[in-house]
Amino acid sequence: MTTWRIEDVAGGVPVDVAIPEGAELAPVGRIEAVLRQPSSPPRTVLLGPARPEGAGHLREVVVDGWRFELAVSDAGRAALRERATREQAGAAGGGPLRVRAVIPGRVVAIAVAPGDLVTAGEPMLIIEAMKMQNELRAPRDGTIGEIAVTAGSTVERGDLLLVLT
Amino acid sequence: MTQAVPASLRKDTRGSPPFAKVLVANRGEIALRVIRACRELGIATVAVYSDADATAGHVRAADEVVRIGPPPPTESYLRIDAIVDAAVRTGAEAVHPGYGFLAERAGFARAVAAAGLRFVGPSAEAIESLGDKLRARRLARGVGVPVVPGTLEPAPVSDRQELAGLEATAAEIGFPLLVKAAAGGGGRGMRRVRALEDLADALLAGSAEAASAFGDGAVYLEREITPARHIEVQLLGDAHGTIVALGERDCSLQRRHQKLVEEAPAPGLTPAERTELHAMAVRLGQAAGLENAATCEFLRDPEGRVWFLEVNTRLQVEHGVTELVSGVDIVREQLRIAAGEPMAEATVAAASRAADPGSHAIEVRLSAEDPGNAFVPTPGTVGVWRMPAGPGVRVDTAIEAGDPVPPDYDNLIAKILVHASDRDAAIDRLGRALGEVAVSGVQTTLPFHRFVAGSAAFRAGDLSTGWVDEHWSSATATAARDAAADAARLVAALAAEGVRTPAANPPRDGPGASPWRLAGRRAAIDRWPR
Repeated sequence: MTTWRIEDVAGGVPVDVAIPEGAELAPVGRIEAVLRQPSSPPRTVLLGPARPEGAGHLREVVVDGWRFELAVSDAGRAALRERATREQAGAAGGGPLRVRAVIPGRVVAIAVAPGDLVTAGEPMLIIEAMKMQNELRAPRDGTIGEIAVTAGSTVERGDLLLVLT
Repeated sequence: MTQAVPASLRKDTRGSPPFAKVLVANRGEIALRVIRACRELGIATVAVYSDADATAGHVRAADEVVRIGPPPPTESYLRIDAIVDAAVRTGAEAVHPGYGFLAERAGFARAVAAAGLRFVGPSAEAIESLGDKLRARRLARGVGVPVVPGTLEPAPVSDRQELAGLEATAAEIGFPLLVKAAAGGGGRGMRRVRALEDLADALLAGSAEAASAFGDGAVYLEREITPARHIEVQLLGDAHGTIVALGERDCSLQRRHQKLVEEAPAPGLTPAERTELHAMAVRLGQAAGLENAATCEFLRDPEGRVWFLEVNTRLQVEHGVTELVSGVDIVREQLRIAAGEPMAEATVAAASRAADPGSHAIEVRLSAEDPGNAFVPTPGTVGVWRMPAGPGVRVDTAIEAGDPVPPDYDNLIAKILVHASDRDAAIDRLGRALGEVAVSGVQTTLPFHRFVAGSAAFRAGDLSTGWVDEHWSSATATAARDAAADAARLVAALAAEGVRTPAANPPRDGPGASPWRLAGRRAAIDRWPR
């Protein structure tokens, strides 16, 4: 069986998941499935359709009321791709970072432009959701590449905001 | 859409609907709640909507609809002129404000009256005198209702010298204390003061914030009662001098002054304590000349002492738990009372039983918020939407599958209420009902509510306004989310492999392999999203 690289688009590091022996997912009705694992009780989950993105797909999964938007790709192929990108970017690089919206809302201000050099912690843009302003800061030093949104854009959680190289 | 019911058969109306047509100046679940009460009384309804709500639940339900502006509340649901104009143009006889938005603006009540229409709520004068917390505190003290120790006049914030004169008073009240805005709400203008040297700065900062938020910079001092329970009494008064308490609610489970769970009656109070509390609220309502529905809020310390906090001159979000235990339809009564009808006999009878109601109700507020990340708002579009049903369950919502949860408004998406013979049975029922809930598309507060339903501390009635921070720490929330994330990743991996048919492994969760279940699963697999 394949090992899958799974990334929570809301944040966090990608995790490689190999399916353990005896685990299975049984569909129940149109929207639900039961997850069975050898040593834990069965769990009913909600499972959205796979939406192709990049080399893999995005899928919504709801477990115990917690909602996840997961990016799923083949771990072996992802590792190959990353190595290629790293070599291209050179030793100092670290590969482009795709910065995604952690909450849905409206982009009210963009403080950077393509080509800008930013340092970790520098404000990049502001997303407003339900009257709260959320400032998005640079997670590391880098150069702003593509900016996928404009001031006034409405974004969903997980949408690409900009690329930091 | 309005049904024709032979009017003569109704016992609580004078032979005809209290109004021919009512405009509902709100949105979401509360607008739908009011529309339902109108329909039961034979009243035609007018909904107003912003561009964000053109196809929203309250718009779908109303007999007539009027667009009032673009999504921002200041350009739509807060526009007194547009709403009054819509009411006049549609021929509505009364306006129900719901809660939030314009519900506690005396200016709105006045504008409605000036247009020759009835306002379904307390008078503009009552809203004004009770909405000013300092005036309400003085009123309470005047009728012998204990108020939270503190000041009764605005602090002299214009003069730093005079402010120093408050220091002795502050020391008397004791630290930590709170600076509060007279016009306050939602914690704005509020400051916590730990020591004397911070007092002047807190008063000035609180006053400045209150001035910008409410256009009124008056602030006062109040002792911080902690730990405390938040207990409130539902009042209902008619135009003929009858004013009653329909019982109390415990709303201690809050976060940032937003209630998350409410129940009626307040657990652990004796009937005598309830009677006393209800009597205080009624005295206050009488002193204020209160008509229609309002709520009197109190704090209760662990020794059982209660202090008056404030009066809300509107229908509360959590009115449903009182409806369930008292049997009174509060919105129906609001409409009848606004038309000048006397309070129904059944309502007066229910009030006489309020100290010992004989059943228990709990409400949880399902919101589009992330309980794993400081309850930040999570607007979006609802995918799957399955609400609970069955014995003793009531769901107030205007949401259906596929509906947007706009970022412009309150993030409450459903109120889930349970009713049972006693508190234990109600908590059992709450756990069962929340187990039936399934929502996708937006993160909801469901994990938090399931946690509450399963909490031993909650079941023990060990409640306080600090409960949520104490029991649902960010570590607890993160651990719960992480455990779910592990399962979610495995689910995504299994789904990526391709769903395996269960034929090889017969189902283990039922009594044998039911042919119905197998047939259902075969059908499901055919439709499975890959």
